[in-house]
Amino acid sequence: MSQMSETLTQLEKYAEEAGTKITPLRKNESLVEVVQDRLEPFLGHLVNDLQIRHLMTITGLDLGQNLGITYEFFKERDTIHVRLLVPKTKPQAASIVNIVPGAILYEMELQDMFGIEFIGNPWKDHKLLLPDEWPADLPPPLLKTTKADQIRRRLGLEAAKP
Amino acid sequence: MFRFMLEKPTTEAYPFKPIQLTERFRGKLDIDPAKCTGCQVCALVCPASVITMVDLGTRKVGDRELKVRRPLFDLSTCILCGECVDNCAFNALEMTKRFETATPNKAELLMNKAIVQ
Amino acid sequence: MSTAPDQQRREESAGLMEYSTESLVPFGPIHPALKEPEYFKLVLEGERIINVIPRIGYVHRGLEKAAESRPWVQNMYMFERTCGICSFVHSVCYGQAVEELTMFQTPRRAKYLRTIILEMERIHSHLLWVGLMGHWAGFDTLFMWVWNDREVVLDLVEAIAGNRVHKSMNAFCGVRRDLPENMTDRIVERMRFLTDRARYYRDVIDTEETMLKRTENMGRVSADTVEKLCAVGPMARYVGLKRDVRFDDPYAAYDEVPLDVITTTQGDVHALLRLRLDELIVSANMVTYAVQNLPDGPIRVKIPPIIPAGEHSSHCEAPRGEIFYYAKSTGGRTPDRIKSRQPTMANIPTALEMLKGQTLADIPIVLTAIDPCFGCMDRMSFYDTETNHKWTWSGEQLRQYGINYYFPERAKKQRDIARKAAPAANQCLKEEF
Repeated sequence: MSQMSETLTQLEKYAEEAGTKITPLRKNESLVEVVQDRLEPFLGHLVNDLQIRHLMTITGLDLGQNLGITYEFFKERDTIHVRLLVPKTKPQAASIVNIVPGAILYEMELQDMFGIEFIGNPWKDHKLLLPDEWPADLPPPLLKTTKADQIRRRLGLEAAKP
Repeated sequence: MFRFMLEKPTTEAYPFKPIQLTERFRGKLDIDPAKCTGCQVCALVCPASVITMVDLGTRKVGDRELKVRRPLFDLSTCILCGECVDNCAFNALEMTKRFETATPNKAELLMNKAIVQ
Repeated sequence: MSTAPDQQRREESAGLMEYSTESLVPFGPIHPALKEPEYFKLVLEGERIINVIPRIGYVHRGLEKAAESRPWVQNMYMFERTCGICSFVHSVCYGQAVEELTMFQTPRRAKYLRTIILEMERIHSHLLWVGLMGHWAGFDTLFMWVWNDREVVLDLVEAIAGNRVHKSMNAFCGVRRDLPENMTDRIVERMRFLTDRARYYRDVIDTEETMLKRTENMGRVSADTVEKLCAVGPMARYVGLKRDVRFDDPYAAYDEVPLDVITTTQGDVHALLRLRLDELIVSANMVTYAVQNLPDGPIRVKIPPIIPAGEHSSHCEAPRGEIFYYAKSTGGRTPDRIKSRQPTMANIPTALEMLKGQTLADIPIVLTAIDPCFGCMDRMSFYDTETNHKWTWSGEQLRQYGINYYFPERAKKQRDIARKAAPAANQCLKEEF
């Protein structure tokens, strides 16, 4: 991208404050990696000062040693991915429902699918997508180490045709 | 509206009368065994894993022994997408207009025309 | 949302010893008023809803996990089957997210063809929805007439793509089928017919007493709440927020085909009806324009089955709102991670706010007004008022209950076998049943 939009130029300032920089990806997308303790002020700037209010979703990634939590924001042609890395040994993150109330269901989904605990989410003890009888010793489904056969066997479902 | 009283009803009288199908309608799959060469491209592109290649022996080409394979179709899981038809370089496959394929006998949905020669 | 402890206390105290005016009514998962199963726990005071606690995930099919073990092209067909009504836009969005990782460009004619089919899908979806609103309002004549007109657009789609619902027409960097010859006039004439019909239905909903009484002043939410809860699609546009991905971030041919984004500030379910019918007219005009100005050229560029490494996302405007797809590749035959977010998930918090303050009888109308598209499984929830203990039956327990009820001899035989096999386990069986 040769020319950054006004939003992104202003965003660079806040990224510097948070000790990180913006990596432009293809076609109007940019990636910002933030650490946990700088995340809330950074998102506060995004929502209140730059009026980037629309959170599209929160994506979870299995990156080997860490789990990536990507908050996808959108405003006027710019898609901004804000990525937070949490270690697999301690998968906890602070919830952002007091900044963006619409994030509540997305955080519940990540809890079910990746096992990340969002501290501060009001519905964090409820399951969203998984059945109530999900065995407690079965790891969360979307991790690379959980195999589909494992899930089928534990839940008592028939094996699908190969 | 009085217009509706003057028009004929929209309900089609199927199954008492034949139903109108468009030219591009995708019905049950059919193969022409004479044109199939066993290149297995259809098996590789099928999204629903319908096609399995069955070994039928070998044949001599020059001084090499080449495997002969032909496809076996399990049409009970076919999603009628048409990828195999589009990718067959020899035009051996086509989608017919048959859609009344419900049967209580699952073996009828196994198409082995290319194998039983 | 921040009153969760209050919610829990209210749940546990509902209908107990002390005389309370609140009651806890489960709605769903299987209910005649719902198209697809979802479970809502309603806290009612008399007939008014005070609070709603949702439980979704009844048709969770694990598509994101399944996508990680299938080649890229097979995933296109799998994601097309996420939804029947908006199947083409799912495959377009997935295709766009992956195409950006390759070095190939989609030809211009393919973009126009995608736009034509996308808008036809929007027309068919909005007609389906208007019919359903008529049905839940008790106005079945509207339902029948609207679905009759929907056949017009479905026949057009069948003539182009070969199938009415799962069109299977999209491919990476192009479309698989071209328009048949001599179809332009037919399409233009049918679009004109649909525009006239949409204007007629707009008249009907504006003047017909039944529809007005059932839909006016229902489901009001403030614009600020809607923006905070990140609603998408018509749910954002009916309170005045101009949010439309086709306008904000054009994809396919939306930068060349003229587009009108319809917003309204009326803010109730009746406004949603008018909004969707107006969008239908705009879509019909877009199809007419696109078909008459179709550029020449190839319709497809064949790409190799291995996608280079990288990550990219894409979003599109489905009939229900914004669809978001994220694709990550590590340079192999199968994807590393695909994330798909459907619009109804983004609209659920807003839907819960809409339901508060409505009466029990209005739930079908208000729930259908968000145009939901969820999915399948069954549970029974138990609440023991004396011991204040809540539990839910598992699928296996539900099945056993069915056997006990309908086939008492078989149940007795089961119990005899179990009694002979494990005398210690008898106690558990007796307690459960």
